Amino acid sequence: MSKDAELVKKLKDPTQKEKAFSELLDVYQERLYWHIRKIVTTHENADDVLQNTFVRIYKNILKFEEKSSLHTWMYRIAYNESIRFLEKNNKKRHRNIDEVPTSNLQVLFEDAYFDGDEVHKKLHKIIAGLKEKQKRVFQMKYFDDISFRQMSEILETSENTLKSTYYSVVKIIEKKIFL
Amino acid sequence: MKKATENTNQNNFLKGSFKDDISEHHKVSLGITVPEGYFSKSKRSILDKIKEEAVTEVPKEMKKPLVFWMRPQFKYMAAASLVFILSLTFWLQSANNNDIDKSTIEFLSFSDDNLINALILNDSEFEAFADAILINEIVIKAELSEQKMDDLFFNSLFIEDSLIDNYTDDRFLETIIL
Repeated sequence: MSKDAELVKKLKDPTQKEKAFSELLDVYQERLYWHIRKIVTTHENADDVLQNTFVRIYKNILKFEEKSSLHTWMYRIAYNESIRFLEKNNKKRHRNIDEVPTSNLQVLFEDAYFDGDEVHKKLHKIIAGLKEKQKRVFQMKYFDDISFRQMSEILETSENTLKSTYYSVVKIIEKKIFL
Repeated sequence: MKKATENTNQNNFLKGSFKDDISEHHKVSLGITVPEGYFSKSKRSILDKIKEEAVTEVPKEMKKPLVFWMRPQFKYMAAASLVFILSLTFWLQSANNNDIDKSTIEFLSFSDDNLINALILNDSEFEAFADAILINEIVIKAELSEQKMDDLFFNSLFIEDSLIDNYTDDRFLETIIL
């Protein structure tokens, strides 16, 4: 039995759930955080979404049918929570017309936890200019080290499409970064 | 030389692999960081939040009963059933009021096919039909005959060739004139 499968078994056992959940946090908290952070941009937003994600995982672990890996299932929850957060934030922004609209890049560069140089800023600009799917594929593969197989389950796209998307994005970035 | 270096940099730009430290990888590649000790603090916070959720979650038996102690889907089914029953009641009542009314019974009674007409009526209507026949056949027709006789008589007073001759003999005429 794999480590994940063992962990799931303990999570579904009421007598071992608390301890197993603590183990789960040790293994996956950091990885999920970075996955979320790249979508919601700032540390503060990522912190909120991360908490919501783990609460949702805790509440729904009994419904996990183990058709995919635990890792994939949790990443999908984190991804959905991040998108939900962005949609909620976008609605709030549109309601308040007096607010000066700021792009995600501006928000990122002004964040207290952005410590990048000009090359980093340029990379962020190139990534921000990609289509949504291209962006996600690249970030998940390059930064989160998610396999194409897992990615296809999370994003519900074929592996071949994901591979060709990823390699074309790499070419774009390599071409533009030194311009 | 400079160009070669640039090319090397370009080709190697995204070749940095993800090693064990994902946070370090993000810092180096993207320039984004996290506060010191964030993950241990976050873990405690998440565990506390889960305990809070478990405490504030109301047990099923203590949950406020739904309106009429019904789940929404059963509530809608009950409402739909009630509307159907009421509609059926109103429809049946209006169907009963579609009994043949008095004027129709009278009209039927004027028809010669009284036997056939009687078949289309139910028992409660038959009595009214029978009364109507009685009025029609005996009373009204008798009056009409009498009226006919009167008309014939009065018409004869104005017409030279009178049908009265057919009805009276000389002795009656003598009685009238004298």
